[in-house]
Amino acid sequence: MLELSNVSVKYGSFAAVKDIDIEVEKGELVVLLGSNGAGKSTTFNAISGLQKPSAGDILFEGQSITGLSPDKIVQAGIVQCAEDRKLFPQMSVHQNLIMGAYVHRRKRKQVKESISEVYELFPILREKKENAAGSLSGGQQQMLAIGRALMSRPKMMLLDEPSIGLAPLIVEQMFEVIQKINKDGTTVLLAEQNAFAALKIADRGYVFESGSMVVQGSSEELLANDTVRRAYIGA
Amino acid sequence: MDILTQQLFNGLTIGSVYSLVALGLTLVYGILHIPNFAHGALYMLGAYITLTMMLLWGIHYWIAMAVSVLVVGLLGVLMDRLVFHPLRNAPPIHDKIAAIGMLLFLEAFAQLIWGADYRTMTTPYGQVINLFGTTATMQRVLINIGAIAVMILLYLFLKKTYIGSTIIAMAQNREGAHLVGINTNKVAMLTFMISGGLAAIAASLSAPINLVFPGMGHLVILKAFVIIILGGMGSIPGAILGGYILGFTESLGATYISNDYKDLIAFLLLVIILSIRPKGLFSREGF
Repeated sequence: MLELSNVSVKYGSFAAVKDIDIEVEKGELVVLLGSNGAGKSTTFNAISGLQKPSAGDILFEGQSITGLSPDKIVQAGIVQCAEDRKLFPQMSVHQNLIMGAYVHRRKRKQVKESISEVYELFPILREKKENAAGSLSGGQQQMLAIGRALMSRPKMMLLDEPSIGLAPLIVEQMFEVIQKINKDGTTVLLAEQNAFAALKIADRGYVFESGSMVVQGSSEELLANDTVRRAYIGA
Repeated sequence: MDILTQQLFNGLTIGSVYSLVALGLTLVYGILHIPNFAHGALYMLGAYITLTMMLLWGIHYWIAMAVSVLVVGLLGVLMDRLVFHPLRNAPPIHDKIAAIGMLLFLEAFAQLIWGADYRTMTTPYGQVINLFGTTATMQRVLINIGAIAVMILLYLFLKKTYIGSTIIAMAQNREGAHLVGINTNKVAMLTFMISGGLAAIAASLSAPINLVFPGMGHLVILKAFVIIILGGMGSIPGAILGGYILGFTESLGATYISNDYKDLIAFLLLVIILSIRPKGLFSREGF
């Protein structure tokens, strides 16, 4: 469904991502593991069109999306839920969700349905629907970011470190929700530092280290891999 | 007492014009973070286009104004496409230099076409009317009604329509706007269109009570900057409130302190307000 081949991304002369290959099949939940600065977010931004790759090709459903503008990529069905959430802080929760459906703005009925689906997934958002997004707690903001991303009815969702800065209990809930979104038919590409929790729900994974991909394999293989265990699980 | 009401009404009138100009400036600043120094030139061109239409073809005031809004709005879009858009990845100082360059260019252009003379615009609404015990020309009443109507329409557009919300969304988080699939280039063009249109409306409304000349935008744009700084850069309520605060302070100051120093009052006000609230009155919370 999504295929990155030999993709590199540079910031000036610094190569943040070097020559990586990723393949995600329809319906899969794939995780990108790596510490801060390993190149996960840069890879996501290249897929989303926020950052142009300096080399390589990105294919989505067989079509090249390399270098397309971000709005075209959302229209094609890939949505990113960014690490720092990128919500509209002074808009209400409800308005944020409505803006999330921008690409479907003319289908009023569908937008309404999507909103009630999101509220069902995150009941707390319904309670807070009139509150400004900026006034929510970290966990609620993350829920809203995921909810807003779902509003575009994506075929594929890129989730950048949804567990960052959240309490352990909330992290667990978040991973349950991600698993549910995946089961409901959205392909998920997840970037995480929380390797153990992520591999528990993922089908496969790629491990990044300073901009290059170093190990890949199924979740079981990665959980058993010594390098991965030492670096990310601490066992 | 008579003088006071008269001056309050004058303050309201000047404030209406300032608010309209400052609104256009703050909208562009809010989404692109460009201080568009050339906004004063758009204001000046707005007045000249309305005046030319009225004098050359005898077109009615309101229709001339509508054409002016359209032309200046498109000029704003052109400014974005030809100058600011190509500079989007350049260091911010380049935008500022380009904006000043455009200001100088457009002023010289106006001087070339219309000459450096001071011109007057005659209005079909010159009659004097009596309003709550004070006298005013119909044109001044129209400035107030027109400006307030435009502000209400702008508010409704931004808050109640989907396309208006995209401007607000982009002002609050540009990358967030990208991620939900908003075409930010189109939003930027729309914002420049609105900004230019507002400048043309302000200029066409106020030209009959002022004079039309190539440098007419100077003081107005300086004051509009004072307004958006004291109202909070990028804040819409800040621009409106700031415009009226400045209008009232100026007209009262001119009467009770000194008419010669009335243009100084704006800057004095800026110093005082920024000493108390360094981020401005609204600092982006109200957008």
